[in-house]
Amino acid sequence: MLLEQAVRYSEIILALAYAQQSLEFIRGLQPERTWGVIGLLLSFLLLIGFQPVLVEAGLLIVACVLLYRFHGPYNGGSDCMSILVLLCLFLSHIAPSAFWQQIALGYLAFQLTFSYFQSGYIKITNAEWRSGQALTDVLAITAYPVSEHARHWAQSPRLMLVMSWAVIVFELLFPLSLLNHYVLIASLVIASIFHLANACLFGLNRFFWIWPAAYPIILWFQSRIVLT
Amino acid sequence: MLKLILPVIFPSWRFFSSIGPSPRIHIAFLQNENAEPDNWQAFRPLPAKISLKNGLRRLLHNPEWNETLFINTCAERLFEGYSVMREQEIMRRILAAIHCGEIKVDKAKPYVTYRISAVMREGQVIGQQVTFVATPVLISAPQQKGTA
Repeated sequence: MLLEQAVRYSEIILALAYAQQSLEFIRGLQPERTWGVIGLLLSFLLLIGFQPVLVEAGLLIVACVLLYRFHGPYNGGSDCMSILVLLCLFLSHIAPSAFWQQIALGYLAFQLTFSYFQSGYIKITNAEWRSGQALTDVLAITAYPVSEHARHWAQSPRLMLVMSWAVIVFELLFPLSLLNHYVLIASLVIASIFHLANACLFGLNRFFWIWPAAYPIILWFQSRIVLT
Repeated sequence: MLKLILPVIFPSWRFFSSIGPSPRIHIAFLQNENAEPDNWQAFRPLPAKISLKNGLRRLLHNPEWNETLFINTCAERLFEGYSVMREQEIMRRILAAIHCGEIKVDKAKPYVTYRISAVMREGQVIGQQVTFVATPVLISAPQQKGTA
């Protein structure tokens, strides 16, 4: 994938993800309601490709205002990834040379890969994750499960063990998918299903929309390192 | 501001690294600000089940759930130490839920308070302990939507 194509595809998915987040803020309280309206307008401009540098700068300002407003991310990891994708795309536009443009996008590809790998690493080094107990606790104790029915999954220890190891193995092996284009595509499909499952079980819908915004960049990055 | 931005630019992706105490929020209505709460009710209890249609809708648009996750984050911060902002942020959203009719109010009890319990596993037993009780607040007249 060409760099320009990757950036454009990424911007389109990012615009949809920001529109989704903005519409949720519009249903909330002030002042985030107003910022949601501004974010929605900017998302539309980004979607149609109107002045991406200015629009991304505007979205970065909105993101900083919301960070300040909530004393940190409103929605944890999904806010971090949203800002990271936005910042790296913005930097790729204003980069003084092709080299720095690739550094900005390469950093996003690294963070996407690392988001899976680090998450897997901290799980495999934790005995409770290795035994399936941690996932049982996530479902039984935490406030994340979306329904009482979802909590019942915690009553199947064998299923919890299998699911824990499936997630750990996938997350740890994700960086190896960079070695082959088709393996990477398959891994991104699996990753999307993983985010969909998290959205269904834990209501983490924003993760489902924002992580794929970085996928075109990692596809470009993979073709870049293979060529090198 | 830099303290807020740096962890976003150099994030740590330690999702569910350890399962610590998890917050549960209950609210109670009071006759006056010094009254003892006698009827705690869960704030936004979980539905028994979510249909496929609702699941798809929530995938696209779920402002209430994401607000609840933010409230839980505020409650977790209150486990670590008191913060006026966090206490008020939770109360503000409970008041908004009351004003929009999500929570029914007993008109004889014009004050509302909330408590945060920490749910945790100790060995094979799951326990719950109240860690914080908010200052009661008078429920004022409903404000315009979006300005609560």
